[in-house]
Amino acid sequence: MLSFKKDKKPSTAKFKLSYIAMLIVLVLLAISALPNLYPNKSWLHISAAPHSETQSLPSTKTLVTFLNKQGLEVEQGLDKQSTINILLNEPTKSAQAQAAIKAQYPNTQVKIVEHATSPTWLQDFGLSPIKLGLDLNGGVLFVLDVDLDKAVDEQLVSAYQQAKSIIIKQKAHGVKAQQTQHGFEINALPNSTDKLTPVIEELQSRFANLAVVTSNNGSVKTAKFSYSEQGRSSFDKEVMGQTLTTLRSRIEELGITEAITQQQGKHRIRIELPGVQDPTEAKRIIGATASLGFYQLKEIGGQTFNMQSGGTIKLDPVPIFTGDHINNANIGRDDWGKPLVQLSLDGQGGDAMSAFSKANIGKPMATVYSEYSQNAKGEVVKKSEVINVANIAQHLSSRFSITNMKSQQAAADLALLLRAGSLTAPVTIVHEQTIGPSLGSENISNGLAALMLGMGITLAFMALWYRRLGLIANVALILNLTSLVGLMSLLPGVVLTLPGIAGLVLTIGMAVDTNVIIFERIKEERRQGRAPYQAIQEGYKQAANTIFDANITTMITALILYGIGYGPVKGFAITLALGLLTSVFTGVYVSKILSQTLYLKMGKKAGVKAHA
Amino acid sequence: MLNYFLKGEKGTRLRFMGMLLSAILVLLSVFTLAQKGLNFGLDFTGGYLTEFTTSQSVELKELQSFIAKNHNGEFELTAQGNSHFQLREAPSASTTANSLDWQSAVTQNDDINAQVLSSAYIGSQVGDELFDQGCLAMFAAMIAVMIYLAVRFEWRLAVGSVVALVHDLILVLGLFSLLQIEFNLTVLASLLAIIGYSLNDSIIVGDRVRELLRVQSNNVLTPATIINNAIKSTLTRTLITSGTTLATVASVWLLAGAPLQGFAIALFTGIVVGTFSSICIAATLPELLGLSAKNYEVKVDAHTQTLLDMP
Repeated sequence: MLSFKKDKKPSTAKFKLSYIAMLIVLVLLAISALPNLYPNKSWLHISAAPHSETQSLPSTKTLVTFLNKQGLEVEQGLDKQSTINILLNEPTKSAQAQAAIKAQYPNTQVKIVEHATSPTWLQDFGLSPIKLGLDLNGGVLFVLDVDLDKAVDEQLVSAYQQAKSIIIKQKAHGVKAQQTQHGFEINALPNSTDKLTPVIEELQSRFANLAVVTSNNGSVKTAKFSYSEQGRSSFDKEVMGQTLTTLRSRIEELGITEAITQQQGKHRIRIELPGVQDPTEAKRIIGATASLGFYQLKEIGGQTFNMQSGGTIKLDPVPIFTGDHINNANIGRDDWGKPLVQLSLDGQGGDAMSAFSKANIGKPMATVYSEYSQNAKGEVVKKSEVINVANIAQHLSSRFSITNMKSQQAAADLALLLRAGSLTAPVTIVHEQTIGPSLGSENISNGLAALMLGMGITLAFMALWYRRLGLIANVALILNLTSLVGLMSLLPGVVLTLPGIAGLVLTIGMAVDTNVIIFERIKEERRQGRAPYQAIQEGYKQAANTIFDANITTMITALILYGIGYGPVKGFAITLALGLLTSVFTGVYVSKILSQTLYLKMGKKAGVKAHA
Repeated sequence: MLNYFLKGEKGTRLRFMGMLLSAILVLLSVFTLAQKGLNFGLDFTGGYLTEFTTSQSVELKELQSFIAKNHNGEFELTAQGNSHFQLREAPSASTTANSLDWQSAVTQNDDINAQVLSSAYIGSQVGDELFDQGCLAMFAAMIAVMIYLAVRFEWRLAVGSVVALVHDLILVLGLFSLLQIEFNLTVLASLLAIIGYSLNDSIIVGDRVRELLRVQSNNVLTPATIINNAIKSTLTRTLITSGTTLATVASVWLLAGAPLQGFAIALFTGIVVGTFSSICIAATLPELLGLSAKNYEVKVDAHTQTLLDMP
């Protein structure tokens, strides 16, 4: 452990390997940071709307004059065969120009497309600048309508079917369920009225919001089930809450961290997605209503379902369990290379599956895939299809897979939807719009100015206070900023918002801490009479523990915030965690090598002087 | 000068007085929070979203000041285009009356001649369950950090760091409650940053306390003296780091404008109270809890001992 004494004449060869590794990492991160010097430009792509004549597209010249008249100055207009590409002087106004063109020329299709301006060799590496958030660059707005009436109808049908199976289960002879206009009712014949109460109780424990009115119709006792106003409103609230949660987790599954999802009005949901180039994928996933259910086959009675392969099949209307009990879903391939979805169930689902499969080995089980879609009349209808009927070969537990998926894409989508949860009510996208940034370009430049000033003060102070060592700290700090920006550009989920810029500023402010701790240690060691080179060695060694503990604890908080947090909290946690990584890397490792090299060179030049 | 104050008895007395001051400030903050509550922004409460167009193009700044005259609640105006705007405002009963005022004002003004396209209630950006989740996250983070520190350091130092952290958060929240500054998602982000900063500060002092306790395992010095020495030797570092961070936060406060004002205020306060609490709470509380060199005697093995005994 007295090894530092051997280091009295250390050779540069000793840290040559770590030198090279560090240099490679730094260069790679710097290259990844490069595209940020060439910010993307938003172009307008104007083409003829589908199903309309190509002639309906105005000429480039007309469009340019039109936009200039609107106060939207055009910097460049390009004529490309079937589309016209236009770049505005102020690209942030693209959303406005898009709306103006759409209003003037209804037969056109206007898209906002980001064009990279970085050199092609950077683009060839697949490198791009950090994505900007809604506040800085705008994005796409969706307004969804949640069909609450449909959800209530579905719920009533489900309650009715469960009522029927409860009656059979409780062997309540003389009790019969019947559908009515506003719900359903259960009638009990005179000599079985006492059997009615347990059925009602069981049903109410499953559907808390259902209101029941009992009446005596002659000798027949009737219990009418429907939604009271109060029950309906609490049901609506529940459905909206559930839909919001599901949509948020779906958006997160898509890898978009800084989206805004809010309830708008009573039955609408407003979703703003930052930096989404092509909203088609987002639309497909957000609006998807696919759900899964696992059913028992019924020969007598039961409900008729369509098979995907054609024909019909009769199933027990009450599922063994539904997609809600699925914990995790992943795609995979079976022995023949066909796509499948692997599922793992939660406790409740696992128990249901285990109990059912144990009692029914050798019997078939059907997997039903349901989806809402619009029919020709524009009405929302639920389409349920049996995608798979398989014999239960053995006692199944909480892990199994669904085979017979149509395509890889279908399997991937289903897995995503099962992970994020299914929607209880059908949703339709009623409004889609490109929105401009909520903060002007002024705010971005102000944020950058703050970054510059803060960094300037820090750099100047370090150089004045620590002199030569301060220069090392400053190099480390600049490398830190470069590495952080590089890392943020590399990771696909990171979106930079104004608070994100502030987080960046703060990270820089705090990053010098690592160097300050080390340098104070070195000073202390020097005061205790160590030679400069030894003092540096000892300073770094002693400070490493402190720095390690301080950063690990902050890292723990960042990881927990990332795991549990949502949206902006998550974004902030990412910046914080990446900032910690880069500041330890540059502040400890890079600056250690820099200071060692510096003092070695100095030692060579000044000879004994440096040891004095 | 500072070193003089931190010497011997005076230093200890100063720390305990600081702790008393902290306790009073925490009580005051809790009282204000209970009395006034936080002024939650639109991110949390939801509100009305009104979209309107104007007949001619209007500068955002002009429109902003025009509406401000006719609206005494808080609102957020964003431009979707030169003549297309969005206004978000709080849903409270008093502002609903005012919101009608601004709407008629903009529609009747000849220069603006606005036309309201839609006005609808929008829910909060942060749902109830997300708010609960956020609180859970903070709580989980604190427990995890406490466990880590208890293993790495000693439970008394861990408790000191976490109490200092809670102290910092409560004081910042108290200030926001007292001044009724809008509490939005950006401010929440700054609270998260304060967690990191506060822990960092406390751990660096705690780390030095641990180190000195190990060296002074011969029980010559009292824990109070050791803690004073530890604070003294980390003071330069604490002041430099706080100084540079405050400088960057101040530049955000000065330059970044209104959208980041809350963020800057929260961080500025957080850093000041964080520095204060790292000395007066994180380092002082363990002493009250009975921290002594004995806590470390067993943990030092022969190998480390030789290292520590080195000249």
